[in-house]
Amino acid sequence: MSKDMKFLVVDDYSTMRRIIKNLLHDLGYANVTEADDGKTALPLLQNGNFDFLITDWNMPGMAGLELLKAVRANEKLKKLPVLMLTAEAKREQIVEAAQAGVSGYVIKPFTAQTLKEKIDKILESRAVPA
Amino acid sequence: MSDTAALRETPARETDLLAQLADLTCNLRNALDRFRLDSRLTALAEKEIPDARHRLNHVLKLTESAAHRTLDLVEQSGPPAERTAREAAALAESWARFRAGTISVADYCDLINRIDHFLSAARTDSETVRANLAEVLLAQDYQDLTGQIIRGVMNLVSEVEVVLVDLARLTGTDPNATEAQPMDSSRGHGPAVPGVDHGATIVNGQADIDALLSDLGM
Repeated sequence: MSKDMKFLVVDDYSTMRRIIKNLLHDLGYANVTEADDGKTALPLLQNGNFDFLITDWNMPGMAGLELLKAVRANEKLKKLPVLMLTAEAKREQIVEAAQAGVSGYVIKPFTAQTLKEKIDKILESRAVPA
Repeated sequence: MSDTAALRETPARETDLLAQLADLTCNLRNALDRFRLDSRLTALAEKEIPDARHRLNHVLKLTESAAHRTLDLVEQSGPPAERTAREAAALAESWARFRAGTISVADYCDLINRIDHFLSAARTDSETVRANLAEVLLAQDYQDLTGQIIRGVMNLVSEVEVVLVDLARLTGTDPNATEAQPMDSSRGHGPAVPGVDHGATIVNGQADIDALLSDLGM
């Protein structure tokens, strides 16, 4: 995986999407697309050859957990790295996300350093052949 | 004869009347309480709660536009700051050769021109960044405005609470009798609020999540 990886950032708040997009740019990832909930994200994912998905949980329309489940259930998308970036802080939810196949979980408010660490960790684990 | 009978009856009738009067007074007071509560409830439901919704919506707009304004200014400040740093680094290299006396005449002339250009560009770029920072500062004024609005809505919520508790008391409803509906966690609960959401069910920061995920084998 290289710096021209294609990211999809899904969050219902445009300010949060801009923050994440700026942080990704700072990390050297310039190819970032945005979506405001799972419903708009899913068709983009199906047609767009994305390499990495960063999604919020609590969104109108289709929530992040549903999007994660839809991605994992889709033959073409099931191996896509999915980082949950959310304010949801209940233990049961984190367990639920892990069981649904999330690749990483970052709690809001978050730091640029945490975001970088988690993305790097996910990419490193992908780089190792199974 | 009938006079004496009437006289003898009086204490009983008086007690009866007094009891009825007491009942009436009590009912009247309840009715007045209820009326006062009803009219307050009507005012709250018809006017103040919709108002509060508009006020909170305004808070949403103010915070959102302040965040976008700040993000705009930060994004606009990146390129001039990067440009200054990049040009300074490039000049430092030629400057070091000049100081060491190893620079050619042609490179020296080039260096002088680049320094001329850099000094003027750095001044303009720093001015841009400084002006943007001043704007970022101003964009934070939303906190004062939204804070005042939110405080007003909090006062309203307190008042609604008092009215509802009074209403529950008048109608004889036990507020603790019904359990709150559990929320569907797949939709999400929103951010945990300190002092409200706590206990063992809530994770305490990123380290807690990392430990939990590591326990789950991730």
